[in-house]
Amino acid sequence: MNERIIRGRIDRAGALVSADAPLLRLQQRAGAGLDKPLALPHLARLVTLAQRLHRDISRPLYAADDHSDIHALVRITPDAEGASLEITDWRTRPLAQPQIPAIGDSAAAPQGWTWECDQQLRIVALRAATDAPPIPGGWEARSLSELFELQPDEDGRFPVLRALARQSRFDGQRVQVGDMAMTLSGEALFDATGRFTGFRGLAVVAEKQASAEPKAGGALVDPAFGSLPLSDPQFGRRIDGALRGPLSRIIATAETISGQFDGPIRADYARYAGDIAHAGRHLLGLVDDLADLQNIERPGFKAARDEIDLGDLARRAVGLLGMKAEEKGIRIDAPRTDDRAPATGEFRRVLQVLLNLLGNAIRYSPEDSQIWIRVDREGDRAMVTVADQGQGIDADQQAVVFEKFERLGRTDSGGSGLGLYIARRLARAMDGDLTVDSAPGQGARFTLSLPARDA
Amino acid sequence: MSESVSSPGIDPPSPTLSARLHELADYFAAPAAGRLTEEQRALSLGIARRLVVDVAARLDPQIDPAGLWGEWLRGGLPCAARLAGICFARSEEHRWREQSAQRSSPPPVLSEPAASNAEAPTVGEPLSEVGRAYLALQIADRRRFDALGHPALAVADIDEEIFRALLLDIAAWRLAEVSKDGKRASELGEAVRAATERHAQEAGITRAGAAYSDALGAARPDAAAAAIARHDWPTLIALAAASHRRAYDDMAVALMTTETAALPSLLAPLRLDHAALAPLEASLAMLPARAVSAADYGNYPASGQAR
Repeated sequence: MNERIIRGRIDRAGALVSADAPLLRLQQRAGAGLDKPLALPHLARLVTLAQRLHRDISRPLYAADDHSDIHALVRITPDAEGASLEITDWRTRPLAQPQIPAIGDSAAAPQGWTWECDQQLRIVALRAATDAPPIPGGWEARSLSELFELQPDEDGRFPVLRALARQSRFDGQRVQVGDMAMTLSGEALFDATGRFTGFRGLAVVAEKQASAEPKAGGALVDPAFGSLPLSDPQFGRRIDGALRGPLSRIIATAETISGQFDGPIRADYARYAGDIAHAGRHLLGLVDDLADLQNIERPGFKAARDEIDLGDLARRAVGLLGMKAEEKGIRIDAPRTDDRAPATGEFRRVLQVLLNLLGNAIRYSPEDSQIWIRVDREGDRAMVTVADQGQGIDADQQAVVFEKFERLGRTDSGGSGLGLYIARRLARAMDGDLTVDSAPGQGARFTLSLPARDA
Repeated sequence: MSESVSSPGIDPPSPTLSARLHELADYFAAPAAGRLTEEQRALSLGIARRLVVDVAARLDPQIDPAGLWGEWLRGGLPCAARLAGICFARSEEHRWREQSAQRSSPPPVLSEPAASNAEAPTVGEPLSEVGRAYLALQIADRRRFDALGHPALAVADIDEEIFRALLLDIAAWRLAEVSKDGKRASELGEAVRAATERHAQEAGITRAGAAYSDALGAARPDAAAAAIARHDWPTLIALAAASHRRAYDDMAVALMTTETAALPSLLAPLRLDHAALAPLEASLAMLPARAVSAADYGNYPASGQAR
């Protein structure tokens, strides 16, 4: 991956007025040049879209010159004078040859397998290179995620599933095959009608076997959004295959339709697509919650005892959800940078609880209201309180609000009814607690308390 | 033909000389005919080598494939005539597919409405009978590549007679190596028998194609038309082979060497209309050095009328 940013500038008439070398070279190969209209149709369409929407857009960019395909990510910022382009992750690859399972660089993978799967991730080819370990028997038509036990990357994500949603190439997908750690990479395949037909790629034995092993307590999950319970690969695999892949594809497709990526469509259709994407994200959230639930209800679940500062974690949570609050005109009064509440608990789990509390507060607060987050210490307990100006929770509801699937009669698509249950379970697993104090019409105050630590 | 090239006075020619004289005699016999290109030669030879190595590994994993191939390269392949047809068929099919893939359109941008894959089935969805048969056909096809993606012949696809002859040729070579070891020699006989039995039980792409064709039933013409539209040539060849009850390799050669005008009649059992055939005609027409008479004229414009 190329981390360098390639910049360009488009004027009001759609001409490329300045460009870093790779972009300029591409424009020149397409038969144009500086101060000429942008000759890359896909990029030109995205620029037009950003200008029409009057907002920044970030999208995958596909371009090609006479000997290679180029995939990149582009951020387009429109302004009164035109638009600015920032292109990252610029990847060049030779023209795809969909029908030939040619894995070019054999020397690079003497210990590897070559594989191919169809669009449903069923393996149709698996072969071992000369010095590679033998391939497992009975691979034919098995699911890729069944044959290769998928492991999340450092960000808690699964490159192959993301690539499936985007129908694009991927690499760095860590997998486990029996006792062997391998890394998968693959190219997306398309037939002559442009239909996605699967992936073809390499499985290479990982150099450090240990690196693929999940850390104790499932520490590889995404702290902010949860992820699969690594402790139970069976469950994780089922979730992967059955829900995550299709949902990711639904969301990706619906989002791109909703963004009117390829030109205008009827506004109500775009809205429907937006609704589909929203519902898809909700379902994906539910999958995460269920996976989390499975994890924390496992006998012997223990949270790590990190040295944390609740003030710092509260500010991080505000940083992550501040935009969401701004959209509703909600002001968050976060702890000041010198407000500290040293405590003991698992960093990412505490952040997860705070994100849940703050997310709920934003979701159920009226527009243009305020949310307060305060940190405090009482005896041996360090506490963080999230208070909002929402409609509040009466005493009966307070008794059940921490129960599984309890949504207090709400029927909107906001949550799964698992968040507070999980949050309290996590708090208690860290020798702490999560409590609520509220009255109808007076907002709600959720307090997370954890063992205090002397700084 | 071989007799005719032995000039009086030239004692047993070297394999190289013999081969060159053969080639020259063939050339004299049909000077205007198109010859093998270097690419066709290299592909066919590579396919033959992979097949010999695969069969040798089945016979006896102790065989040194490099030694066997090296010796056969110098002295000539004992089964040359038998292998020529199947290796040529596979190499031509590979050239066709490669060319077709290079010319096909680039991958779509995911957000395009057409790429939303409304038709794409969900991951993990149970397979229909047709789906299962198609998957089996794909697997059978992908077995016709080696680990590096080079074209190869799957042992299961080889005609029984050719397989047995090749097996015996390799066994004879091996026997010469291990003849001093009586036990190894007798084990070799047993290995030939076991490999023959195993081969008889294997189903290759011809049978996978027939099963797919049967599963399709009345939907066969639509599936064939879709295969053409997608440039899914192995599926088309398999369906055509099933409809003619021919082997896949035979059908591949027939399809790739037929004049464009004769394609509709060759594919008549698939009941394809002219519009559906158009991409196939276009794709075949673009394949250079195709072994049809029309293509030969194209390749040798000066050989016939021009002079």
